[in-house]
This record gives sequence, C-alpha cells and structure tokens, in this order.
Amino acid sequence: MDFSADVRQIDGLAVIDLHGEIMAGADDALTSGFVRATTGNTGPVLLNFADVSYINSTGIALIVGLLAEARASDRRILVSGLTDHYKDIFEITRISDFVTMCDDEESAAAAAKA
Amino acid sequence: MTTQEPTNAENWAKPVDSLHIAHDLPDHAINLNVEGKRVASMTSGFGKMWQKTYRVRLDGARVAPQQVVKVWKEHFPEFWQKGQHFFGPMASISPGDVALINVKTGGVKLSTGILVLYADDVSFSFMTPEGHMFTGMITFSARELEDGVTQAEIVALVRAQDPIYELGMMTMGSGAEDRQWLHVLRSLAAHFGVEGKPTLEKICVDRKRQWKRFGNVRRSAAIRTVFYSVTRPLRRKEKTRASA
Repeated sequence: MDFSADVRQIDGLAVIDLHGEIMAGADDALTSGFVRATTGNTGPVLLNFADVSYINSTGIALIVGLLAEARASDRRILVSGLTDHYKDIFEITRISDFVTMCDDEESAAAAAKA
Repeated sequence: MTTQEPTNAENWAKPVDSLHIAHDLPDHAINLNVEGKRVASMTSGFGKMWQKTYRVRLDGARVAPQQVVKVWKEHFPEFWQKGQHFFGPMASISPGDVALINVKTGGVKLSTGILVLYADDVSFSFMTPEGHMFTGMITFSARELEDGVTQAEIVALVRAQDPIYELGMMTMGSGAEDRQWLHVLRSLAAHFGVEGKPTLEKICVDRKRQWKRFGNVRRSAAIRTVFYSVTRPLRRKEKTRASA
C-alpha cells in the first residue's frame, strides 16, 4: 500500500491526514504534506494517523525528522488516531515527550486551543 | 481511538521503563551506563541534528537483501573495527535486546549500550540510552536497487547528547563515527566477497542547538567511564586490602 498525505484546516488547526504505510518511500509525500500545512501558517499542526496501517523504523525516523523541522520553527505538533501499539512506540522512542498525544481529532482541536 | 494490532507488532521492542542486559558478558567488558538507564528521547539531545547515510553497493554478489541483513544480525560485532566492542546476545539481533558497547571514540573510552528498537528481515534499528554520546536512532538495512544490485545502508539520525559530546563531534568524534560505520560496510561487503566502496551523505536536519539540554552533561557516559577508569587502581587496592 502506498503512502499519501492530505492537508485540510479545522478551526485554525492545520491537519495532515496520513494514509497508508509510513516507510522509506513515504519521505516525499510526508515532507510535501508538512510544507503545504505550514506555508503561510505559524500555528499548530495535527498529524492524523487514523488511516495509517503500518510504520517501520524508517518511518519513525521520518517522523522524528519532521518533528525536528517543526521544533526548529517553534511549531507545536499534535498527533491523533494512533493505535495502542504505535502509542507504545511513540512512548518507547519518547517522541511522545515532544508532541501532544490525542485520542481523536476533536480532542486535538480542543488541545490546540488550550 | 483504534486498538487493532498492526501487522509488524512483533518487529518492535516492547515498552520498558529502564534498560537491562539479559545475557552474559565477558569479564573484560565494562558494564557502565546501561543498567537501569532510560532510553534517550530521540529529540532531546543538545547538538545539531544530523542525518548521516552510509551506503555500499554489493556489486557482483548475488545476494538478496534478506540474506545480507540475516548475516549482519548474526555477525554484527565481527564487522566492527579492532578495539571497538559490541557485546550483544550470541544468537542474533532481536527486538528488545539490550547490548553493551565498549568503544574508544575521539580518544575517549566509553562504556555505553543500545536497545534494539526494531528488527525485520530487511532492517534493524538501535536507540541509545541517556548518557550515550548521541541521542537518536541508527537503522541498518539492505535493499535491491533498480539495476538489480543489493545495497547495504546505515542511516543515523542523531544529535550529540550534551555540549561536551557536541564539541567532541565537531572535532574528532564525528570522523571516528564515520570511520566506524564505513569500516562496518566494507567488512560486510568483504563477507560477501566484494571490495566495497562505501559512501557517506550528511544532511543537517536541525541547525539549532538546544541549550536547555545543557544539563544532559550530568549523565555523560564518557565522564562516568573516565571516572571509573581513573579510580580503578584505587578499587583494586581496596579489594586487595580487604581480602588480605
């Protein structure tokens, strides 16, 4: 299954809907999604993993790279839609220290305003 | 909220609060800075964040990526430079394994370790504990290129964990690390009968230093290892006196 990233706005929050498998080939689509979500917008960004079926270690590295880019511009990142397993992976890698983990889009939108 | 298990759950390490080496170690191994330590957060280091990609084409070797990674996992320590030691489990590299590392980098002796975060049939990844010279992840993998040649690759997404390591990486440490991984790729290629010509590509992912992480220096494995080495004769003397 390929990977794609769609961008939309909800209530001042840029949402990147991630679809498919995040692995080596996802680099371009992920970066492009992030650029579209952040161009002309200094606010927080939500990474929505609800439609992500698979992440391997290369995929985690891509996400870390994205977080580094966000951190460089002092941008807050929220994530939602992670399965319990990938929540564990975010805990092990301690990515969770640097993002706001939310169960769903609604709670992410509320957290973004907090 | 979704709860279904992904197809690759068994490829990932299970969550742990602290690291523990579960296998026997040789007597000469210095086991510091691993037991009871937490994994270092991937974004909590001090220095600039680098993505370094080391690659070698296995031209002429008729070997599938799966076979390359199988051999790499089973013989991992054998591909290291002389004097650099990786004390892992005997069999192979598996998710959740914790291994001890004794290395000399930039003239400094270091006892540290890694957690095997992920392993499948074409890749495996390590994370480092707090106090290691860098925080981040290193992924070892193999894949078939469009021209049919298998390529082995090491991708390190890392930043120095504290200001001293950052200074070290700017002077000698980075070069030592590069030599280590280029050596590993040459050795791996030689295992398959190939005279490998490894390459290195470096990209600075984040140029900002995280000054709020300055305090990471108090966990430095290098400082602890140097202190351990310096005080070793005193401990021996104490031991001799106690047993007399």
